[in-house]
Amino acid sequence: MKKIVLTAGLLIAACLLMTPGATLYFELGDGTRCTTCHEMQPLYDTWHSSSHRNIACGKCHGDAFTVDVAFHMNNAHRAYSHLRGDLPEQIGFANKYVLEIDQQCRSCHREEYAKWESGPHSAGFARIFLDKKHNTANMLMDDCLRCHGMYYEGGIADLVQPVSRTGPWRLAQPELANMPSMPCATCHQVHRQGEPMQKSGVEGSRPGPTQEVARPSLALFDRRTQLYVPVADLPMPAMKEGERAVKMSKDQRQALCYQCHAPIAAMQVGSGDDRTGLGVHEGISCLACHDQHGEKTRASCATCHPKMSNCGLDVEKMDTTFVSADSKHNVHWVKCADCHTKGVPKKRQETNQ
Amino acid sequence: MWRRPGMRTDSSHSPPAAQVGRRVFLGVGLAAVGATVSCTRGTAGGTWRFFTPAQAQTVDAICAQLIPADQDPGAKEAGVVNFIDLQLSKRFKKYRAVYQQGIDAVDAASRSKFGTRFVELTGERQVEVLNVVEENSPVFFDLIVTHARQGFYGDPRHGGNRNMVSWKMLGLPFPPVRGREHYKG
Amino acid sequence: MALKRVNAVIVGAGAGGGVVAKELATAGLSVVLLERGRWYSAADCRKDDLYNQRTQALGARFGPDEERDPRVLVDERGREALVSPSDGGYSNNAACVGGGTFCYGAMAWRFMEKDFRMRSTYGAVEGSTLDDWPIGYQDLEAYYEKAEWEMGVSGDDSNNPYKAPRRRPLPMPPLPPSKEHQVLQPAAKRLGLHPFDIPMLRNTVPYNGRRACMRCRWCVGFACEVSARTGTHNTVIPTALATGNCELRTGCMTKEISLDSSARATGVAYFDAHDRLQEQPADLVIVCGGAIESARLLLNTKHKLFPTGLGNRSDWVGRNLQGHSYSGANGLFDFDMYDDLGPGASIAISDYNHGNPGLAGGAMLANEFIRLPYQFMAQVPAWVARWGEEHKEFVRSAYKRTIVVTGPVQEMPLFDARVQLDPKVTDYWGIPVARLSGGRHPHTIEIARFIAGKAEAWLKEAGAVQTWKRIPGKSLSGGQHQAGTCRMGNDPKTSVVDKDCRIHDVDNVYVIDASVHATNGGFNPVLTILANAYRSSEALVKTWKGSKVRS
Repeated sequence: MKKIVLTAGLLIAACLLMTPGATLYFELGDGTRCTTCHEMQPLYDTWHSSSHRNIACGKCHGDAFTVDVAFHMNNAHRAYSHLRGDLPEQIGFANKYVLEIDQQCRSCHREEYAKWESGPHSAGFARIFLDKKHNTANMLMDDCLRCHGMYYEGGIADLVQPVSRTGPWRLAQPELANMPSMPCATCHQVHRQGEPMQKSGVEGSRPGPTQEVARPSLALFDRRTQLYVPVADLPMPAMKEGERAVKMSKDQRQALCYQCHAPIAAMQVGSGDDRTGLGVHEGISCLACHDQHGEKTRASCATCHPKMSNCGLDVEKMDTTFVSADSKHNVHWVKCADCHTKGVPKKRQETNQ
Repeated sequence: MWRRPGMRTDSSHSPPAAQVGRRVFLGVGLAAVGATVSCTRGTAGGTWRFFTPAQAQTVDAICAQLIPADQDPGAKEAGVVNFIDLQLSKRFKKYRAVYQQGIDAVDAASRSKFGTRFVELTGERQVEVLNVVEENSPVFFDLIVTHARQGFYGDPRHGGNRNMVSWKMLGLPFPPVRGREHYKG
Repeated sequence: MALKRVNAVIVGAGAGGGVVAKELATAGLSVVLLERGRWYSAADCRKDDLYNQRTQALGARFGPDEERDPRVLVDERGREALVSPSDGGYSNNAACVGGGTFCYGAMAWRFMEKDFRMRSTYGAVEGSTLDDWPIGYQDLEAYYEKAEWEMGVSGDDSNNPYKAPRRRPLPMPPLPPSKEHQVLQPAAKRLGLHPFDIPMLRNTVPYNGRRACMRCRWCVGFACEVSARTGTHNTVIPTALATGNCELRTGCMTKEISLDSSARATGVAYFDAHDRLQEQPADLVIVCGGAIESARLLLNTKHKLFPTGLGNRSDWVGRNLQGHSYSGANGLFDFDMYDDLGPGASIAISDYNHGNPGLAGGAMLANEFIRLPYQFMAQVPAWVARWGEEHKEFVRSAYKRTIVVTGPVQEMPLFDARVQLDPKVTDYWGIPVARLSGGRHPHTIEIARFIAGKAEAWLKEAGAVQTWKRIPGKSLSGGQHQAGTCRMGNDPKTSVVDKDCRIHDVDNVYVIDASVHATNGGFNPVLTILANAYRSSEALVKTWKGSKVRS
């Protein structure tokens, strides 16, 4: 009897330790052992040549000592799938890891994280999907998830119930209320080839005045194909105002913004979610005014319109949406003629246009 | 998500036999790993799921002739062989025999015509061999033409069209910039 | 164990079944809607050029299952082949909530008056079972209108002088014209033709709470992420469910209709999502599985009074399988035509639907939906090398410079183009599978050739520097537009259901889908399926004498 109990106990212990043990084995290889499952090779390759190469797999993906049964069960399940020859075509991370991965980002990129957290792009699922005013006016749909909740595995009907315009709406999984709908990994591919960027201030590392720099990690996570598309490959739309082609900044980073802040098919400035600059601000990059992570613009006006400027105008006090959201003059599209309704004074034309 | 055929970024990668040996030290937890490792095919020379390294080379060379590189990348650069290998382990399982025989037929045709393996021939001679194969093994040839097109013009997520090379060639923006009527709240 | 009895059990949640469910449930009948597939969302559909319902290179995304649902195909020479859903010849239509309407292109055509009176108009066609419908356009007009307004159709056919009279215009305007549209429209005018905007079950402005089409690249074969494309899954089925009278069960494969000793239906036997055999008792059984599966279900329902299948006393079940013989032409232009504006198809002419000299019918012609890169491979003309530099160079230079004009040629029904049960092969659940055999009538191909010539002429007038035609072969038709297998007619000897879609001889079994179409028009059939479902449901509710859930 004793022997049976002992054997059973040992067996149970063995089973319990099996997956963490295997995990430990993979960790000890500095990542290379992960690639014994060949579907891991591309992920290993991109990580190994990325700026995050010195951060061990387990740091983000969990390790043998992770206290989470689901994590180890999931690993066991993967091993089983692999053995069955059921190979995944793509490997990505599940929505439930979004928070954890964001926390990993935070542990190094504190400033960026803090800005993001205080900005609109950190809005959680509850804020985005349970907006009564929105949901009454517009039926929720799957395409919402393209920009809000791109890592969510399921359709809108799995996330919010009911999918109707009458409500009341609730999240099918209430624990997702604070899940960021645009996590770090929306715009950043951690496993991305590219040299680590040098710290600014180091001799010779500052980009010239006409250069724009893009972090090597900048890439869009396209929910529809589950692919990261590097920012350099993203299309820049040819925006129009009526038939006129609008002057566009060459800053390629904007291509990332355009994926969500997108015009409707006719590519007209201001249509859909577009915010392309027109009028006095035509040709300026989104990032000239918007802070990259917090999207804040408060401090940006002074960059081009210092208090001590020749024109003597305090642009921050002018009647635009910068001052009040109710203003008729959207800062993105404001033109001289909007205020100078009887014609723009010559002097102003010279200095402002 | 793609993989560079035959490329290993780390030479310290241990072959399966060595890993099985280490199981003794790492104990019970590694039993599963041993099985995992030993199931992979051809891990020593490359990471093919279905093909042997030699077969993969041949298929790669065939595809490179079916969709050659010119001013734009071709099937080789797009990793089409990777697409075919992956699909042969999934949805194209039913075509495995056709591929095995077809690859043999290509090498046989190459040997009888030029006395050496297909991959060692010049481009011109490879085309000559493929003309023979198209004539003599039409089932295999139709299949690999279809699959090469799928791998080249299809989605990168299936293992081909690496870096979206074919879409770039066609001037097709991806993902397209497309918004909707905006909610004004 | 039998489940709770309901008034009606509907088999299949596609175009027909969705409408019937809504009409019965809102009339107060208790309804169970059985669907063998799943309720997909766009999350199940990556914009995948290889794995979707259109290209099917890596399988049919919205079913049926590649392994579980084989069919047997017998070709013209009598050779049998076991085919999977993604194989050519399977005649696949999506198996999911919404059925074909979940992932179609959504053209929403009314048939013309003559489409219901083909035999009277053209006389007998040798070798064909060509016949009139027992109902006419005027019987469907009000229901066409109901479908257009209740579900939402956009477009503008006011410039189409050939259309059957309509009382109300379409509720939504067409999308702004694409580049193809702008080239084809004046060309058609120059030829004396009458181009107009295709009616589509597609929101072009917000309608019924759903938004407008965002004009993406991926339309036919894909799930619509903005839910702008209208199917039964985002209109009538949710309405039916909201009444509280309708229960939708997905993953349920119906085995047979259960009959009592007098061959009256008592319900259906089906395998549920966990493969357990269930018995759903019902007062009415309404079969809406599509032309092939509906016929298969009737044939699989055997009884001593109907030893060869329910409704098959005259051996007409499964006969006259037809679809559309798409024919047309491709035109290569010397300037860019591609503007990346979905859905692609936008402009049509109805000049060649009827009145073609010496031909019994014709087809509507329209420009084709956007071709994704892999889809374009099927468009490469025969004179271009299949592989090597030449092929690649052609694809690169021609991809953005082609227009395809094509049309669904109305087919001459054949008695021997049919669905039978295969004596040997069974599906995953052990149910005998459909065995498809027969071919296409030579006159259909003659019409197709004529239509392709007209398409070519239109493209040439538009400025195409090279054109090449696409004409279908002799093999069996069917596909997504499958129809005809349970013909509607007044004579039980030459039809399966009466004009209200009730099976002759059995008073509580109905077939309401394209199976009942005597002929299939020279148009995409969905709006006719929807309209007929509205009409037959109304007739059914009127004659319903049983107890209702609520009055």
